[in-house]
Amino acid sequence: MLLNAFSNPNLGKWVIPGAGLIWFLGCLFLLIEWGLESSLAGADAFFYALLFVGGVLILDRVFSLISPKGKNVWLIFFLPISLSFISVWIHRWVLDWYVGDSAYREMLNGQLYLRWTVLGMAEQMVALLALAVSQLERQDEINKRESQMLELAKEAELTQLRQQLQPHFLFNSLNSINSLVVSQPQRAREMVLLLSDFLRGTIRKDLQARVELREELQTLKMYLEIERIRFGHRLIVDFHIGEGTESIRIPQLMIQPLVENAIKHGLYGVAGEVKIEIRAQLDGNYLILEVKNPFDPTASTQSGTGFGLSSVERRLFLIFGRKDLLQKSVQQEVFQVTLKIPIF
Amino acid sequence: MIKTLIIDDEPLAAELVKEYLMDYPLIEVVAMCQDGFSGFKAIQEHHPDLIFLDIQMPKITGFEMLELLDEAPAVVFTTAFDQYALKAFDAQALDYLLKPFSKERFKQAMERVLNQLRYPSSDEDSGLQSLAEKSNRLVVRVKNDIKIIPIQSVRFFEAEDDYVAIHTEEGKFLKKMTMKQLEDSLDQGKFARVHRSYLINLNEITGIEPYERESYLAKMRSGEKIPVSKSGYARLRQVLGL
Repeated sequence: MLLNAFSNPNLGKWVIPGAGLIWFLGCLFLLIEWGLESSLAGADAFFYALLFVGGVLILDRVFSLISPKGKNVWLIFFLPISLSFISVWIHRWVLDWYVGDSAYREMLNGQLYLRWTVLGMAEQMVALLALAVSQLERQDEINKRESQMLELAKEAELTQLRQQLQPHFLFNSLNSINSLVVSQPQRAREMVLLLSDFLRGTIRKDLQARVELREELQTLKMYLEIERIRFGHRLIVDFHIGEGTESIRIPQLMIQPLVENAIKHGLYGVAGEVKIEIRAQLDGNYLILEVKNPFDPTASTQSGTGFGLSSVERRLFLIFGRKDLLQKSVQQEVFQVTLKIPIF
Repeated sequence: MIKTLIIDDEPLAAELVKEYLMDYPLIEVVAMCQDGFSGFKAIQEHHPDLIFLDIQMPKITGFEMLELLDEAPAVVFTTAFDQYALKAFDAQALDYLLKPFSKERFKQAMERVLNQLRYPSSDEDSGLQSLAEKSNRLVVRVKNDIKIIPIQSVRFFEAEDDYVAIHTEEGKFLKKMTMKQLEDSLDQGKFARVHRSYLINLNEITGIEPYERESYLAKMRSGEKIPVSKSGYARLRQVLGL
């Protein structure tokens, strides 16, 4: 609809009546100029403008509903031309019957083709305009829906990714608590509290929000403490946190999957003592985060290959629009991921 | 006494099973192991009647460990993953305990175990089937040790009675399984059954030459020549896109 072409709908409302008024005034002055009596010129111009406005309304309605393509393209030309033709003839017959003056009829007949040409041209322009506006509207609609769908898909994917990682961790932790309850009740209580704090930290809803590195490290420490209770003293964690890095704000749940990955391939995949290193430092406009873990090269791929990492890669791309922020490297039997987070 | 072994990579989880077992005076826990390798060794050493077995563990999984045994004891799986239940049933496990489990649920499992050990059913000796599962490695026994063979390092497989011979750069290894089971567990795009007794790694082929009427020989990179049957040739042409 033409009135939607304006961002302010109150303004749009006046477009068609305004065009009608200009049409009316233009015709009125022209007819008076040509020597017609002013009351007669008024009636003529008024009826002519009325027909013009009616034509515009019809065309606007028609082209907002259908957009001619391929075989229907002729409608864009045929409709305004035939509409204006009919309008001009109605105008001629009605005014002739209303006025009944032979000199005036003479004049109407003489101007018939001129009026048709002018009205036809104007309505043709209106038709093209209405078509363009409706196409823009449709495109707008599609874009809006598309971006909404993308948003939803993103959300769903992220939730799913997280859920796939969690359940076995949760059940195994509950099983450890079950074991501790009788033998070491104090440690069981400690584990319950750690687990609830950790879960509360992970189920934060707004993934877009940024948090301080300090906060992320706290959640991380809880997670690692839980793993240490589960696996006894097999797990050793080394934190090297550079000065000034703790207050930097980073997107949430970026380091967590990297450490989960390290635990999965390191702790779950390698027998004996396992050392995991986590390093954070500043480098120009980047915060560099490194996670190192040992791994067993003969391990079955069944335990998953970089599944957690690819989700981080995707999120980095969604947030920063770059694909080079996550790097993996393998040296002997040590796996290392390096995460670069731009600081603003 | 019923000799029992607990294999779990989490000490607390193993402790829990041990604690639940205190109610059964007939049970004697002979060892507790934290991975499949040491579990396998402990089985060779103690010949237990019953094992409590976790599935996801370092080095080799519980299923892979079971495949290595000639005679499997009664098995009860304990795991937090529920997606292995069907497979565990195929492996003729007596029960499948989902962590965390209650004492009542454990009691049910023990009733089943005690019943089975008292009145062994006739099909107990059928042992454990090796299970068709897409995996990128094979776990085999070399005397009393365990060897992990990455699938891509295998040149070809050859049927040998009840075994399959696995030919690699390092030599030949035997694994108790059928060609059918093996074929089902391999990636069809990387291996092809070219003969009733042969399955070859497609990456290792350097050429095919006619041999006798309607049979061929596949030349391998290592210089060996593998017989190819008529239907095997057709299959080979198809996967290689000839």
